[in-house]
Amino acid sequence: MNIQFKKGVLELCVLSLLTKRDFYGYELVEYISKYINISEGTIYPLLRRFRKEGYVTNYLQESQEGPPRKYYKITEEGLAAFQKLQSEWEDFTDGVNKIIRGDFVE
Amino acid sequence: MLNRTEFISTLRSGLKGLPENEIMDILYDYEEHFEIGLSKGKSEEEIARELGDPRNISKAYRVSSTISEAENNPSAKNLLKAILSAMALGIFNVIIVLGPFLLVVGLLFGLYTISLSFIVGGISAFFGTIIAPFFPYSIHIDVHPITAISFGIGLVSLGLLIGIGSFYLTKLLYQGAIKYLRWNIDIITK
Repeated sequence: MNIQFKKGVLELCVLSLLTKRDFYGYELVEYISKYINISEGTIYPLLRRFRKEGYVTNYLQESQEGPPRKYYKITEEGLAAFQKLQSEWEDFTDGVNKIIRGDFVE
Repeated sequence: MLNRTEFISTLRSGLKGLPENEIMDILYDYEEHFEIGLSKGKSEEEIARELGDPRNISKAYRVSSTISEAENNPSAKNLLKAILSAMALGIFNVIIVLGPFLLVVGLLFGLYTISLSFIVGGISAFFGTIIAPFFPYSIHIDVHPITAISFGIGLVSLGLLIGIGSFYLTKLLYQGAIKYLRWNIDIITK
């Protein structure tokens, strides 16, 4: 798949997961790369940008194994951004599907 | 293939120039990623390969950091840094609009020069007329002193107006450039 297209989709996927619950970086990477083939390192710059834009906040939490984990929590602004992106995505995929699956009409 | 130390040090050297606390903060995320990956039984090389090229990763951080810096501390130097880092990321648009951008910068420079010359010229006309009677060998121009003084005041005001206008145009151009860069980043590094 086109790499720049994928990067745009990644934003939507990360926000979408964060609407379900709080995640730490590794979990997000693990979950998303199960479904989409991504360069896993691109997710951390994205999370950092989200934090600067106020879409997510951070907190550290101890874990039974390994180091404390940096969790990401979505904010009200993040939620609004997600809803906007989601509806744009749905409009877009609906349109594309109509073109590639529908009958061609002149 | 990179191991953990090589990955981190390549990333660190790519981030050189960013504030040290920001670098530490960024590297923390990758250290954490390696730690968790190792505890799940992956090898360092495997984790590094899945993360991707650390040089590309550092470019993504660098560009958003330099743009924020140019936004918060406006200066020609910071704007140049932001433009260069965007170009390093391979943002082709930036290269295309660089020509017109420099043209506008040149025009603004011209406007500042005009403004400055008007102010200097106006002041000279004003004081030249006032002090002329005290100089025995002054060059005599056949203009009424009142006309010359009003001309001086008018020229200074016009120069100031052009200067103020250019200042606002400069601010606008600066903000526009930042917005443009940010817009490009949003499209490409998402």
